[in-house]
Amino acid sequence: MNPADTTAKPSSLTHAPSPIGRGKFCEVSLTLPSLLWLLFFFAVPAAMVFAIAFKTADSSGGIGSSWTLETIVEVFNFNYARIMWRTVWVSFAVTAICLLLAVPVGYWISRQDKKYKNWLLLLVVIPLWTNFLIRIFAWRLLLHPDGIIRTALVSIGIIPEDVFLLNNMTAVIIVSVYTHLSFAILPIYAASERFDFSLLEAARDLGAGRFRAFCLIYLPGIKRGIITAFLIVFIPALGSYAIPDLVGGIDCELLGNKIAFRAMANRNLPEAAAISVVLACMIAIPFIAFVFGGGRKRADGGARAETEAISRQ
Amino acid sequence: MKKIAAYLCAFAALVCLSACGPSKPTLRLYTWSDYLDLDLVKEFEQKFDCKVVIDCFDSNEMMYAKIKAGGSGYDIIQPTTYMVKIMAEQNMLQPMNLDNIPNAKYIDKSYIDRFAYDKTLKLSIPYMIGYACIAYNKKQLGQIPDTWGVYDTDKYGKRLTLLNDMRETIGAALKYKGYSLNTRSDKELAEAKEVLLRWKKNVSRLENEAYKGGIASGEFYLVQGYKGDLFQVLDENKDLDFMLPREGMSLSCDDWVIPVGAPNKELAEKFINFMLEPANNAKNMVFTMYTAPMEEAMKYLPDDLKNSNKIRLPKEIMEKSEMIEDLGDDNAKYIKIWDEIKAD
Amino acid sequence: MSAAKGRFAAWKSTSLIVTIFVMIFLYMPIVILVAQSFNESRFGGKWAGFSLKWYEALFNDRGVIEATLNTLYIALTATAVSTVLGTLAAWVLNLYKTRLQKFNYGITYAPLVMPDILMGISLLLFFVSLKVELGLFTVICAHITFCVSFVTFVVLARLQDFDFNLIHAARDLGANWRVIIIKILLPVLGPGIAAGAMMAFTLSMDDFVVTFFVGGPGSTTLPVKVYSMMKHGTPAIINALSVVFMALTFSVALIAQIITRKRV
Repeated sequence: MNPADTTAKPSSLTHAPSPIGRGKFCEVSLTLPSLLWLLFFFAVPAAMVFAIAFKTADSSGGIGSSWTLETIVEVFNFNYARIMWRTVWVSFAVTAICLLLAVPVGYWISRQDKKYKNWLLLLVVIPLWTNFLIRIFAWRLLLHPDGIIRTALVSIGIIPEDVFLLNNMTAVIIVSVYTHLSFAILPIYAASERFDFSLLEAARDLGAGRFRAFCLIYLPGIKRGIITAFLIVFIPALGSYAIPDLVGGIDCELLGNKIAFRAMANRNLPEAAAISVVLACMIAIPFIAFVFGGGRKRADGGARAETEAISRQ
Repeated sequence: MKKIAAYLCAFAALVCLSACGPSKPTLRLYTWSDYLDLDLVKEFEQKFDCKVVIDCFDSNEMMYAKIKAGGSGYDIIQPTTYMVKIMAEQNMLQPMNLDNIPNAKYIDKSYIDRFAYDKTLKLSIPYMIGYACIAYNKKQLGQIPDTWGVYDTDKYGKRLTLLNDMRETIGAALKYKGYSLNTRSDKELAEAKEVLLRWKKNVSRLENEAYKGGIASGEFYLVQGYKGDLFQVLDENKDLDFMLPREGMSLSCDDWVIPVGAPNKELAEKFINFMLEPANNAKNMVFTMYTAPMEEAMKYLPDDLKNSNKIRLPKEIMEKSEMIEDLGDDNAKYIKIWDEIKAD
Repeated sequence: MSAAKGRFAAWKSTSLIVTIFVMIFLYMPIVILVAQSFNESRFGGKWAGFSLKWYEALFNDRGVIEATLNTLYIALTATAVSTVLGTLAAWVLNLYKTRLQKFNYGITYAPLVMPDILMGISLLLFFVSLKVELGLFTVICAHITFCVSFVTFVVLARLQDFDFNLIHAARDLGANWRVIIIKILLPVLGPGIAAGAMMAFTLSMDDFVVTFFVGGPGSTTLPVKVYSMMKHGTPAIINALSVVFMALTFSVALIAQIITRKRV
């Protein structure tokens, strides 16, 4: 491998793919392992879900052999609309609360001394190290009708005797916020880190009030972080399954639960697939808006900032 | 960095080795939780020098979905009778060699004639009969009337649960209205739906398993549950009591089956035979608090349970209660109602 | 600067209050769990005395032990494979800017935005159609699939800071590929790769929904076991299990911290 016999075109030193690796063959052979894996275990199953949504259900719970549009039509009937709406508004509420809490926290941590920052970030990340289900279980203890929180609130008089904190939408929202909050804080912190705070100084010098400076300078400045945080909470929240199942009540069934119910209990795989397609479309909308609104550069930047923050842990 | 990698590899190797396990044959069961006396399981392991692993499911449909999707590797499964029918029709079960299970002769003929799916007992052997009834906290709620109508009123606060099983819960509403819980009539089902939409307001949650812990911890004050589970909890907690609704309940029986492709068929047959021994069956009855259709086993029950209401099914109950049957294509009607109840 | 401090004092104090509230919010459940795991009482209502009996019960529970071994086995295997695949992917994504890489980028990014339930159901349908038996194998394949993307982006972030001139210099000095990889790439990228591997390991150990959908006989992992324990009411053991689990993950992550700190 003599450096002299490359067939490279001259290229700048800072970007030099040619001397490294023999062109196309090297590139393709290094790309194939992960690409093939993902194509086979991700892209193909995803395509299958689309296809299966158009098939009939076998009465014994398998996938039938004929094609039909009936299942898709089923999915657009009234009952599903209600669940779709419920899923969207709950996810939205959870995301909004997470953002409301994450922005001050991200700001505060980014304004601390360097030696404290890493420890503070560690504190934010540690709860994620506990198992997801165990965190939900801990909340069931906390929100129990005879648990500390409720008895305290009832005795102070904040909530009346017949209001419960568990097995309803309140519990689902509280636990969902808990699960996603750390993920929201990290990108906002990363963006806040990169924010030039002298801009705020300048704004104040020019006479802007505190609130104006905050809304017009700071928030747009950390826009990338906010958008990343929004997506990183909203999209998984749309697909919630375990949280409504474990702490929700009868009126808390979300799309994720419906999919699981159809697949497992109803033995109707095509319908499960059809609902999945609907969920995927619901997710695609904010995501495509993000990609085309910001361009790939931003996606890269956002993801990079966030992964950097995480990988610095 | 290299050292760490080396340690990790060594650790991984250890884990793999231990995951391989000893060369004793392993019997794999797929059944409901808390459904077998673990002391008996241990006894079997020692007697036959093997390992027994138990995986649990909480609904027949889920078990069916997993097995249908290719989850073979189980030697014994304990589905409910209506699911046995479906699985048999799908050729998922294999006939057992009754020469290896002589204790099957103790199963009550009257039960076999009336309820058993396979009267020759080759495809399925009955294990335990149960019914779904109500348990409540009498300290908090006082005495309650013996009807499904307790769900129809908000007198008992909001700490109530119903089963998260479409046939059981819609069945309860049907029984309340005096209809059969296997009905195919659209009119009757519509009435049941109205009833359930009313009950929904008073119910906190639909729960298939956590009602046990819930009623014991005070999270719920009144639950619909399976009698064995409920009696297990009642034993430990004197504040609780059970109620059998006068309109009737759903009966169900879980059967021993061996699926096609079971790796250890003969060992499985020995296990079933061991469990069917009257003395052992009695121990299982005491542990699970369900009823085995085996008169011979009743003789081995401890005295306080021999003639107790808790094990022996009272006649009035038997008469008013029905077994849940699979309804084939009419299942879709129940699914639709269930959807509407959950979506409202 | 001190004038600035005064100006933004209001911001600082409100954000401080919110941060304190958030910290309490984040740690409250954990504190409760740890406390309850030592509680004699079965249902955690009142404090009934200090006891280690739930830990005892935990270590005697075969189901839990088997689930733990499964979880570790799956996590280690999935981490190993996904780290290799992810590192390769990060390398080519960083190095080459062809159309193939644009496609590669898209396909690698997509699993990050897919909720686990969609991944679970698509893999379930996939395995069902191919008539593959559900079990350890399918679970490991599923775990690798969602881990690869995460590893790729973590390593990619590190790679983007890597100075390729180092490699040019080495080539100019006559080093061959083996030397370059061992003496330059691995040491410098090591922490990034380790961080990616850590991420993959944590994701695999924590996963519930995907494992729940594609699991089968003998592939019960800890999260799946916890789920079924939560459902059929042995609540007290779960507290002890949680504490043990937390201690485990905590120590693994702490070790990773120490490794990555040392290197940098």
